[in-house]
Amino acid sequence: MALERVTRRTFIGWWMASILTSLTVAGIAPILVFLWPAPPKGQKKGPLTIALDTPLNQINDGQAVKFNAPTSPNSAFIMADGGGDNAPGDLAFGGFVVKNQGKVDVLAINCSHLGCSVALNANANSFDCPCHGSRFHLDGTVLHGPAQFPLSHLSWKHGQDAKTIEVDGIILGF
Amino acid sequence: MAIPHPREIQLAVVQWLDERYPFTKSIDEAMYQRVPNFANAFYYCFGGMVFVLIVLQLLTGILLAIYYVPDARGNPAPAYTSVIFIQNTVYLGWLIRGVHFWGANILIIMVLLHMARVYWTGSYRAPRELNWMVGIIMLLLILVLALSGYLLPWDTKAYFATEVTIKIAGSAPPAALGAFIKTVLQGGPVVGPPTLQIFFTAHVFLLPALIVLLMYVHFRFIRAHGISEPM
Repeated sequence: MALERVTRRTFIGWWMASILTSLTVAGIAPILVFLWPAPPKGQKKGPLTIALDTPLNQINDGQAVKFNAPTSPNSAFIMADGGGDNAPGDLAFGGFVVKNQGKVDVLAINCSHLGCSVALNANANSFDCPCHGSRFHLDGTVLHGPAQFPLSHLSWKHGQDAKTIEVDGIILGF
Repeated sequence: MAIPHPREIQLAVVQWLDERYPFTKSIDEAMYQRVPNFANAFYYCFGGMVFVLIVLQLLTGILLAIYYVPDARGNPAPAYTSVIFIQNTVYLGWLIRGVHFWGANILIIMVLLHMARVYWTGSYRAPRELNWMVGIIMLLLILVLALSGYLLPWDTKAYFATEVTIKIAGSAPPAALGAFIKTVLQGGPVVGPPTLQIFFTAHVFLLPALIVLLMYVHFRFIRAHGISEPM
């Protein structure tokens, strides 16, 4: 097949079309960047200091203590791991400090099924989800479905005294 | 000077206008259309009812926007308290919001009935396929309008319903795309004040403008094609 001769008109036509296309792209690109959410002023990742209702050294084996993310300023915890609905880096607005055979775990409150807040069932020593009936052992592993993955852990370290812990989190900035 | 009869003033005004643009002609063309007998069946009215409902939504929406504050910061947030204010304090506010709320629900039902009628009478067939497509886009716009409007009262139901819907949108594969959609819709890492701002902007500025534009296209197409004959 012989190549069709490129006329001056076709050549200029293609030139114009490419200039117009690049101008359109150059015009739309900054709008797309504009639409990507800018973090609000004051948004900052870092450890959040949490005052516990029961000091760490007074929590008994098999006991769990609930805590919430601070609301002034508005903050959230960052999950360290997770499966199902939870993933590392997801945010949680509450958690539990649990002592299991001397080992302290800090768990995020979000059910791994669809993210509802699990509640401590003190009688059965389990975390029960009110939404679809999932249940978890105090170490976060699944006791009963529909959840298939354990509860997420939160990264934490001891605070200045036994009453406080430092949990990995983010100040939301709003 | 004789006092002119009101009719003379009226004629003078219309004449003055018609000399500058053919208003009378265009209004006549728009209004005096022959309607075939088969189109007098009640189910041919569904589209018109949808139009009336959308106009009602626009009017009540404008009235609500006078008092609504799209600010979700703080507890209780102004978004929530302004809805309470509309509902309990503003004169007839409960009625305006009630009409807007129920109008939205009935609108979706009417849209589906209209769509069923178009399908039933085969009015989607050539040469009217484009109007069916425009209609489908408007159906989706109506659903997104309903979804975005649901968040605006900023109560617990609104908040967690939006958590769920954004979670569904964010579950689109592949995971990176889902996370992208989720972040853009939320306007950040969680459902919060930026989410309300985005949904408010979509509900009040973007989507109504789009739907009014598409309604105009829809009606121009109908005028061009005429009402479809029964099968």
